[in-house]
Amino acid sequence: MAQTNAHRWGDLADDEAAAALLASVMSTIDNRVDYGDARLVEAEELRLYHQLDRDPDERLEKSIGIGVRVLVDGSWGFAAAPLSDAEVPARTADRAIAVARAGVGAGPRVTFPPRPAASGRYQTEVGLDPFAVSAAERDALLADAIEAAAATPGVSSVTAGVNAKRQHRHFASTEGSLQHQHLLETGGGLTAIAANDHEVQRRSYPNSFHGNTGGSGWEFVLGLDLIGNGGRVGEEAVALLSAPMAPAGVNDLVIGAQQVSLQIHESSGHALELDRILGDERNFAGTSFIQAGDVGALRYGSPAVSITSDPTVAGTRGSFGWDDEGTPARRAGLIEEGIFRRTLSNRDSAARAGLELTGAARADGWAYLPVCFSTHVFLEPGAGGSLAELLDRLGDGYYIEDNRSWSIDNRRLNFQFGTEVAYEVRSGRRGRLLRNFSYGGITPQFWNSVEAVAGREEFRTFGYPCGKGEPKQWGFLSHGAAPLLARGIRTGVA
Amino acid sequence: MQAPLNEARTMEALDAALRSTAADEFEISVLARSGEYTRFAGQVIHQPQDIVEVQYLVRALVNGHPYRVATATAADLDRAVAAAAAGARTRAELSKKPGQVRLAAPGVGAGAGAGGGAGPQPGTAHSAGPAAPYWYSDTEAYDVAARSGLAKEAMAAALTAGGEAAGMFGRAVTQQLVATSAGIRRQIAATEASGALTATIDDGTAHWVDLSRSAGRLDVAGSVARAVAQARAGRGRVDLPPGTYPAVLGAEAVGELLGFLPDVGFTGTLAAAGIGITARAGQPLAAPLVDVADDGGADMGLPIDFDIEGVTKRRVDFFRHGVVGEAVTDLATAAALGRPSTGHAHIAREQVPEPTAPNIVMSGGTHPEDVLIAQLERGVYLQRFWYTRLVGRITGTITGVTRDACFLIEDGRLTTPLNGMRFTESVLGVLAGVQAVGAGVRSQPIPNVWNGAISAPSVRAAAFRLGAAPIEPAA
Repeated sequence: MAQTNAHRWGDLADDEAAAALLASVMSTIDNRVDYGDARLVEAEELRLYHQLDRDPDERLEKSIGIGVRVLVDGSWGFAAAPLSDAEVPARTADRAIAVARAGVGAGPRVTFPPRPAASGRYQTEVGLDPFAVSAAERDALLADAIEAAAATPGVSSVTAGVNAKRQHRHFASTEGSLQHQHLLETGGGLTAIAANDHEVQRRSYPNSFHGNTGGSGWEFVLGLDLIGNGGRVGEEAVALLSAPMAPAGVNDLVIGAQQVSLQIHESSGHALELDRILGDERNFAGTSFIQAGDVGALRYGSPAVSITSDPTVAGTRGSFGWDDEGTPARRAGLIEEGIFRRTLSNRDSAARAGLELTGAARADGWAYLPVCFSTHVFLEPGAGGSLAELLDRLGDGYYIEDNRSWSIDNRRLNFQFGTEVAYEVRSGRRGRLLRNFSYGGITPQFWNSVEAVAGREEFRTFGYPCGKGEPKQWGFLSHGAAPLLARGIRTGVA
Repeated sequence: MQAPLNEARTMEALDAALRSTAADEFEISVLARSGEYTRFAGQVIHQPQDIVEVQYLVRALVNGHPYRVATATAADLDRAVAAAAAGARTRAELSKKPGQVRLAAPGVGAGAGAGGGAGPQPGTAHSAGPAAPYWYSDTEAYDVAARSGLAKEAMAAALTAGGEAAGMFGRAVTQQLVATSAGIRRQIAATEASGALTATIDDGTAHWVDLSRSAGRLDVAGSVARAVAQARAGRGRVDLPPGTYPAVLGAEAVGELLGFLPDVGFTGTLAAAGIGITARAGQPLAAPLVDVADDGGADMGLPIDFDIEGVTKRRVDFFRHGVVGEAVTDLATAAALGRPSTGHAHIAREQVPEPTAPNIVMSGGTHPEDVLIAQLERGVYLQRFWYTRLVGRITGTITGVTRDACFLIEDGRLTTPLNGMRFTESVLGVLAGVQAVGAGVRSQPIPNVWNGAISAPSVRAAAFRLGAAPIEPAA
């Protein structure tokens, strides 16, 4: 049963009080700006880590503040501050206007097409409030997971953690939009390390990068079964120390869902951000090999490849009701049967490029400007059936899973990934465990080499943190994938 | 330019909060930053920002068991103290034995009221070396009007050359305060100025980044001119065959490599686990020209002389004349190693707290970069690395790509511009092959590290391997 009490906490739980605060900001900037919006955000995040032979480390971090964005005489300005006193909203609005005025005349006047107001309320469906789970239960879960992972002789360190974040996010604009979102996410993960004088090997579950986090309650953590997977993680970390080195060459691969999710993140999600495509991120995060004019024309992948953005899917780290400039969440096909159809866009970039707005403006809390980030972006499951069927179709090759290292160039074109594990596959049967597997390639060549994607029964979703912008901010998003079969991939590249 | 917090009032608030008796001990660290950023691209200042961020982080201790609670406002501090104490009591009740955590004691390495600056003023003394000034009036003058003017000039310069410029000029005031129930009181306010720019002309690109406590050290105008000239020279890039080349690595590229030193073992976490390079302390693993340290008292990068546990940062040599040094530690990892903390406690977002090196500095040499290039008959010049990731912790092997102004070096001159290229190379191997060190040291930020910077010069390295790893026979 869903718990609505999970959203009753903190100082900004009350929509009407938040609306009154936002109204005061709108009245401060009204008639002084071409456009303005304000985001009032309160967030609280719990993190508990257990490590082998160390005391548990737990922290609870609360943040509350406001970010105001304005367009003045065709020039943008943004200011943000913690809500430390009653004057902060008005002062922040004044600072944003001052910042905007300093940039007037620095280039072409920014045009921002108006749109109708959109208002409403959205909240995460929560089964078990993670903040109501007792410390004893959290501790017991992680202690048992650590014990299971450390049971194999040779495991040198184990870290297990759980995390939960709850947020009140309120938005208002001079166009009359007023939106209230109450979000909650929960996650966990486990990492075991084995080392000798020559090698350090790591096994992780359920994701090697910050565990896995979903837009739901404690039931998400329970569903991970950290304890049940702990023993396997420890055993595999130790086994990797003496496993044969993975081969170099050109090989056919079945890539597991977790690794595919990171492949999507790096070579699809980022490549399709429209602000990046337009050059806004040229100095730091980079650009994209995709051009705005490629819409409808670029064959990005094989017909087996369809990639979709859909933050309306419940339960993911990329789920929301409106993005951070008030655009309603919507489903958008980014790559359809291999053809590039849409970008991840915000209002400004969509207007400049004359492309469809897909609602991908995301900001890290109240303190940062919304920029284009992935939402819930996923590879549509295919006709490849189960993982076993996909391996059978592979014949001879390798099954790889769980990212070990990743790198991609500033155009999101030339990539290289390493995985924690690889298994030799002969005649469709999984064989020897291999260590230090890596593969590399060129983004569209890789996606065009995809022969099949496994079916819905193998589909899994992974929550990620991500970084972008100057100053660098965090984005929180998700990617879903089923294992895929790709042929002719260069391996042993790192 | 205003500090985000009034230090005297904030310290009074911390004093009041520390009167709580709800736990055995308390530690409160305050991290605050007021940052102004003029970001530009496409001939427009597209993202000017003015951001104030504040975090009060309370750690309570009951019978050696800790709990941390953070909040964003002083008004919420009492609640945070009470919540931290309650959390620590719960942790103590859940445990079957006393906890291992100890807070810093006042005294050597953790001064009571000593060391920290008293506010926005220059010349705060550093306890372990020469004075490291933290507050610069020239950074006060690097205001929004000045930065907007520089952005306009940079965009105009690139446009005149037939291209465009994108980047960011920024300034900030960083404040850090620590107070503990044991009597530690530390506070500092420091200015920060930064500049970063990519010039693009056709397929030619060049990059510049630098940061300092002092805006006057950035040389924005000269750096913009050099970047535009490099981008112009970088047109008509060609592919370079994979291989191993003698190389001159620009300051940014060297800084990127040095950022991996904590990952190869120079942290207390790895040292306590017996993993990584500090197991070979005292061995000459880098070239004798290589001096690299984390130095909170250095007059470059972003020095701050104490950590969030209130412990004075000690200079920690990673390599001294090429000889392997030691790891940075916090109180917990120092205890595990049986040593005093070096003052490097840190908590990165979404991660387990662990010691971090926030001000890595490599000493410069005597020759300008041009001389390093002139010393090479044939090789490559690599300005910037991008998206580098650790592949092998023991060998220090990383993978990444080259980016921006990279050139072939022929007869001591930069000649043919090169396309970006993937590489897999050992950081330790490169440092072992350093043959010359440049004079100019530039700084760049460390992502996800509070007040983090790496400062490095250019180097001439005997060999740098470009291209994906060669195909070798399967096992």
